[in-house]
Amino acid sequence: MNPFTWQSALFLAPSIILLFFFSYWPLLQDVWLSFYSWNMISPTMKFVGLQNYLQVLSSSEMIKVLFNTALYIIVLVVINFIVPYLLSFIMTHRINKFSFFYRSALFIPSTISLAVASILFLWIFNPLAGPLNILLSGIGLESPRWFKESGLVIVVIGLIIGWKVFGYNLILLTAAMVDVPKELIEAARLENASNWQLFRRIIIPMTSSTALYVFVITVVFGLQYVLVPVNMLTQGGPDQGSTNLVYIVYQYGFVFFQIGKASAFAILTMLLYAFFLTVKTKVLDKMVHYEN
Amino acid sequence: MKNTKQLLALLCVGALTIVTLGCGGAPSTAQKVPGKMAIEYWHVNAESFGGPTVKQLVEQFNKENPDIEVVEKYNPDMYKGLTQNLQAAMASGNNPDVVQMGYSYLNYAGENFKYANIPDIIAKQSPEDKTYLQDNFLPNILALATTDDGKQIGLPYSVSVPVLYYNPDIFKQAGLDPNQPPRTWQEVAQAAKAIKEKTGTVGFFMQEFADNWAQQAIIESNGGQILAKKDGRTIAGFDSPEASEAYQVLANMVKSGSGLHATNEEGFQAFLSGKLGMVCTTIGKRDNFEKSAKFTVMATPFPSFEGKARKLPAGGNMLMIFSKDADKQKAAWRFVKFLESPGALATWSKGTGYLPPRKGVIEDPQGLKDFAEKNKNMQVAMSTMPEVVKWASFPGANGLQAEQALIDVRDIILSGKQSAAEALKQAASKINSML
Repeated sequence: MNPFTWQSALFLAPSIILLFFFSYWPLLQDVWLSFYSWNMISPTMKFVGLQNYLQVLSSSEMIKVLFNTALYIIVLVVINFIVPYLLSFIMTHRINKFSFFYRSALFIPSTISLAVASILFLWIFNPLAGPLNILLSGIGLESPRWFKESGLVIVVIGLIIGWKVFGYNLILLTAAMVDVPKELIEAARLENASNWQLFRRIIIPMTSSTALYVFVITVVFGLQYVLVPVNMLTQGGPDQGSTNLVYIVYQYGFVFFQIGKASAFAILTMLLYAFFLTVKTKVLDKMVHYEN
Repeated sequence: MKNTKQLLALLCVGALTIVTLGCGGAPSTAQKVPGKMAIEYWHVNAESFGGPTVKQLVEQFNKENPDIEVVEKYNPDMYKGLTQNLQAAMASGNNPDVVQMGYSYLNYAGENFKYANIPDIIAKQSPEDKTYLQDNFLPNILALATTDDGKQIGLPYSVSVPVLYYNPDIFKQAGLDPNQPPRTWQEVAQAAKAIKEKTGTVGFFMQEFADNWAQQAIIESNGGQILAKKDGRTIAGFDSPEASEAYQVLANMVKSGSGLHATNEEGFQAFLSGKLGMVCTTIGKRDNFEKSAKFTVMATPFPSFEGKARKLPAGGNMLMIFSKDADKQKAAWRFVKFLESPGALATWSKGTGYLPPRKGVIEDPQGLKDFAEKNKNMQVAMSTMPEVVKWASFPGANGLQAEQALIDVRDIILSGKQSAAEALKQAASKINSML
């Protein structure tokens, strides 16, 4: 029986049309725009060919942007992937009391908007008047200027994203943890396996499918969420210390009104993501253990 | 069979709901009441920065002019945010009617936006106002809304100058006299040092908005320039010893711990909760500071450099008209005239801290005469009006990017990564390649 009949085509049609108009058509337009120099309102668009790409690749900003993006990825993966992974293991297999309380308490911040969280954290980290400063001065240290030091600003913004994303990732990983058959764990305990061996030999392979998903969304969505706190608190500063591939597209497009360069950055970002996805498919997917 | 019917019914209901929701009608910000001309007014005044005053003025105008309905729209992120929104609106053909445009966007707006020419509107629609501009505005104030090539693209509305606010309680604790605030930058550095040593609180903070307004004030008051003209072209003018000297004063304070380098919100929050001695920012924040601080806020003129003329860039905004239709232009002009009337300007000044751009409002008993006599902080700002100069705005397609480069260099200098002289020189060559 031919599975592909005109009926199935009709059912698929609305989604394909929407996907085309809202995802693929803008992508093609973006490629086209990247060959022009335009400020979005002037009636004349100047064709500049590959000049935007050349300028973008040879600018001193590009290195900083790539470095920052790598740093963001490391911070986001540590705070939003590794820590929830370990924490969910502890919560499901080591602690038996209050686990419901922990789950709810850690999930509630995810429901608060990122803009609100940014303002909250600005107040908490205020180097002269904030609660964190009071704690630090209590032990005799002076609070660093969190939002004005190049490395620290990325960590603080990573924490703000963590406020939002941590709880969600924790719930997902906990669900995966709970799925691990208890017999395996009990069998391992009978053979005196240590916690670390338990984690590495049983837990990681059994939860690897969910873990891969959480890893990918932490990186991809984390980098996009970063736009909100950066736009509200630092605008890419200090001295482009908190900008990344996603923010630089916004900055060139909507702060400098240079849509050509912004599109060039966007296309380069997309190529980088495509590369990341290829690595994921070829390497990580093979390492994942699926139930069936 | 029953299941398919239920599914079909559900799908139909779902589709109908979506269609009705989608056809709910795009909520037009200017509600079209039949018979009234709808005028859209864009501003940057948040609740803590004159928002209630805007609403009050709009209500008053709508009551006094029953044939016009003004709807105000708030734009976050100050003039940068408003310009972004305006650019998007113009690109889609939905222009607002009256807009507050920051003076630093003067040249960008003049080159890129299709605005309605106010002198033309006066000539065609309101010939009785032929001499309105010359009668009511001083030439140096009108010049604030005139582009480099001589076009009068707007009407000056809000005028602000930078002032030095300070906390008299902290001054007393540090052994300083609150009635003798610092007059020169030398004295500011000494006062900040005294505050840090005697009370442990940080002494000084200069605003760090997404623009270089306050930094321009200190550079130009030392004899430096932001922009310079060479062979008819505009180039960066701040790689001079005077400019680096001025910037280095700030950098030294931050380095010694008596000055603060942090985001604006952090600095203002710290000042209002009594953890910061002096703040150098716009007089436009006067009302908000006076209401939110836990202490009596006092102000003194922007400090000068010994022996040099003080130059303060005028901050604030001008009113621009973007209506295309002749009737709308007339209505917009009526609204602009109302906003610039002495009574409305007085309300505006009281509710924000901005200074009136028009002649005679301060002396007018229906204007600001009583208020100005009572509010010392406002008098401080008014006393520096004669030293007002234009806010430097980078021209050309890369002007906004150039502005960002100066903001970046501020972070470099204040964090101590480079000395002011080196950093400014590098920034100047970077900006010159952009202009």
